[in-house]
Amino acid sequence: MGKLELEAVSKEFKTGKVLDRVSLGVEDGEIVAVFGPSGSGKTLLLRLVAGVEQPDEGRILLAGRDVTEDSPEARGVGMAFQNFALFPHMSAFDNVASALTARGAPRNVIRAKVEKVSALLKIAHVLGHAPRELSNGQKQRTALARALVAEPQILLLDDPLRNVDAKLRYEMRLELPSLLKASGSTVLYVTQDYKEAMAIGDRIAVLSDREFTQIARPAEIYGKPATMSVARLFGDPTINLIPVAPLASPTGTTIGVGGALLSLPPGFAHLAGKACVLGLRAETIAVEDTSSAQSFPVEVVAATPLNEKTLLLLRTDDGREILASEPGTEEAPRRHGPAFARFDPGAALLFESASGRRVAPQTA
Amino acid sequence: MTDTAVKRADAPLRRRRTNYLPYLLSLPALLVCIGILIPFITAVYYSLQRYRLNLPMMRGFIWFENYIEFLTDREFWRTVQVSLEYTVLTVGIELVFGLAIAMLLQKQTRINNIVSILLLLPLMTAPAIAALMWKLMTNPNFGVLSYFVQLLGVSNFKWASDPNTALFTVVLVDVWVYTPFIMILLLAGLRSLPTQPFEAAALDGVPRRFVFFRITLPMLTPYIITAALFRMLDSIQQFDIIYPMTQGGPGDTLLVFQVRAYLEFYQYTNVGKSAALLIILWAITFALSNVFIKQWLKLRERARGLA
Amino acid sequence: MEHMSVAERMARGVLVVLVVLFFLFPIFWILLMSFQTNEEILRIPPSPFFTPTLANYSALITGKLVTAAGTLDIAFMRNLWNSVLLSTASVAIALILGVPAAYAFARFKFRLGEDIAFTLLSFRFAPPLLVLLPLSLYFQALGLTDTYIGLIWVYQLIALPLILWIVRGYFEDISPDIEYAYRVAGHSWWRTFTRIAIPLAGPGIAAAGLLAFIFCWNNFVFALILASAEKQPVTVGALAFVTASGIQYGQIAAAIVLSVAPTLALALYAQRYLVEGLSLGALKG
Repeated sequence: MGKLELEAVSKEFKTGKVLDRVSLGVEDGEIVAVFGPSGSGKTLLLRLVAGVEQPDEGRILLAGRDVTEDSPEARGVGMAFQNFALFPHMSAFDNVASALTARGAPRNVIRAKVEKVSALLKIAHVLGHAPRELSNGQKQRTALARALVAEPQILLLDDPLRNVDAKLRYEMRLELPSLLKASGSTVLYVTQDYKEAMAIGDRIAVLSDREFTQIARPAEIYGKPATMSVARLFGDPTINLIPVAPLASPTGTTIGVGGALLSLPPGFAHLAGKACVLGLRAETIAVEDTSSAQSFPVEVVAATPLNEKTLLLLRTDDGREILASEPGTEEAPRRHGPAFARFDPGAALLFESASGRRVAPQTA
Repeated sequence: MTDTAVKRADAPLRRRRTNYLPYLLSLPALLVCIGILIPFITAVYYSLQRYRLNLPMMRGFIWFENYIEFLTDREFWRTVQVSLEYTVLTVGIELVFGLAIAMLLQKQTRINNIVSILLLLPLMTAPAIAALMWKLMTNPNFGVLSYFVQLLGVSNFKWASDPNTALFTVVLVDVWVYTPFIMILLLAGLRSLPTQPFEAAALDGVPRRFVFFRITLPMLTPYIITAALFRMLDSIQQFDIIYPMTQGGPGDTLLVFQVRAYLEFYQYTNVGKSAALLIILWAITFALSNVFIKQWLKLRERARGLA
Repeated sequence: MEHMSVAERMARGVLVVLVVLFFLFPIFWILLMSFQTNEEILRIPPSPFFTPTLANYSALITGKLVTAAGTLDIAFMRNLWNSVLLSTASVAIALILGVPAAYAFARFKFRLGEDIAFTLLSFRFAPPLLVLLPLSLYFQALGLTDTYIGLIWVYQLIALPLILWIVRGYFEDISPDIEYAYRVAGHSWWRTFTRIAIPLAGPGIAAAGLLAFIFCWNNFVFALILASAEKQPVTVGALAFVTASGIQYGQIAAAIVLSVAPTLALALYAQRYLVEGLSLGALKG
């Protein structure tokens, strides 16, 4: 198994540059989820690693070997395509076996490996069928089996759960991580679903605006997003973003939110006078009946119960709308009307308006 | 592994490796292209010369004189006239006839499918052979068609030997050979039309004539135009039927472009004139085919969209 | 369209019968003629009832015609063989040259490809004599006048554009991801081409080959101008035959039947491919 490295890879098409000198290092056996909005170049990235496309700049190294100039068949990766790309004129068995027939393995070895992988992916009973006779879920698992059967060093999965129905997607999301870890391959997993990225990846590489905006563990991406756009991409409901202008005061730095003056934790003095944006995740806002030191007045405009939580639509005195969420309870739904919203300043995220970058508190 | 923005390393700038594969694969096609272009350019070259095979010493450049001579040549305008008559008659009749048959066979029944297949056969015969077949059938002495015509009371119908009926005869052969082509195209078109407008019309009790002229025909227009252009391009260059039938005769009745060009070359050995005639014909077909290609690409997009 | 009165159904039926009669009668009649002796042919009124004879065919096949005036040598079998050879060889070569080229045009967007496709397409509709007449002079200069090679090369002008036209569309319909998947699985470009691309485009290739064969077989003007007497296919040979043998109508009819039998048989046998090639191929290509 091996390490995967992308060094300053760029690719341009007639419509414009899609990837601008992106770099990524994936450790041996690690699973990295490549996440980003549609059109951001995630699939292109996989194709570059597989050798199906050639980069304009940069290098690609597999297990320390520079494969940038190598053709796809020489790279020894396994890939599962978004639309499955099964060979329609071959049986499922032959589809899976195709990764082994290239290397001239003997018949019995091929049979054994195909059966082993098929058992793992629960498609052993449909191996004799043609692709058009399979259900979507079976097709997807056949495509996965084909990618896994040769025990490749590097595994590339292009949004494999996208074309699969919701229930199956949920099941597979639980099965996949252990399956992938068991294979031991280094994995690049492309997805448009942030929950999937957080569930499957050891790290997440967020691809937007032609580069990797942040590469980190899921908890860090969620709790310490590098930019506003990253913060927006993760979390449901979307993070609340409130423009604020920090003021220096003898007691510390303060910001005005919803008509109230709230203090920031220490370390943000350098932001005084700059245009900033306050990021508040819905679940960090507590809605209470009485005011307190760090709360500001709101009106509860609507309450939407979802199974495990209730979403509250709040409106501040200056007309801004904020979403807060509370864990769902059996009690009667919260009544509409005036209330107070309070958040833990430590959980608040501050971004610089101009660059969109998150500002970390400076220690003296 | 903490949150960082990616480091922008200095990238070694790759020169993109040119892929030779497509050029290699299309090499033979390229050779064929050259094989077409060389004679073509030669023909243009000859058309600008006074060049007769039996008078090689008189060969020389006369530039556009060959073309200008045509303008005042009665024979040339006769050729233009006959070619146009032939084209208009064949395409017109074949379109109407082909559409009528396509509508007759529109429903996907066993019999209709068998009939469609049988109607392919005239299309599959070589037009030159078809001409011979009809020549035999219209033979004044023993031809079965001559006999039938006599039964109808018309005596002495000379078919292809009579200047008055020669055009009719060759148009008849052309219709026999090529109507099935139009039929196949229009049948495919008819069968690919969406059914909702027709169902709606049936529900509303719309009369059939209205349905045909206001719904069917407009929707079929791209197919009709494609078929028409295809046939026009072939008809204006007609050779395979007329030459075996009458070699352009009787007299100059059937001297269409290519037949005349052929005779200029072989009978009168006038290479220059023959080439000029063909260049003129080529110009006509080139203009027409550009229109055709645009139409056909549009039709292809539509067919792809439905597929 | 479901409800048709009896009268209307009958009218339709009659019309269909008339149409079938019109288009099939000539073939049928010539077929009859080919089994008739000269006397029966010349008899008026012509009748479909007679005792059939195989004399015409045996004369053609043996190549000898015994008449009151003496024995004539007929070279028609030679023409038939020329047709078979020229058509088969031309299509085979056109497929070998054209299928990879069609693949290149389908998969790679390169300037030269567009230019080639445009040239071939525009000359599909150009008058053949424009190219053939100068070519006949070149042939004499190059010594190609009495060769099969020269003819097969020229027949590429008929077969290649057709094959490129039709097969390219079929290759374009194959999702590129399928080919990528095979390559990533470890197979070379060539194996992908032969094991994936060609099988999946199979029906298109068959349709194109079939159509090309029929067009080559039915070709008249190419052979008229460029083929020497020995190498003429049936289309030209039949015409020469008519001029030469004059009164032997039965044999002419038999010759016609032999000339069209292969293409008609092919058409009936593979009509599905044919219709697909003609209509959808024209639309798809």
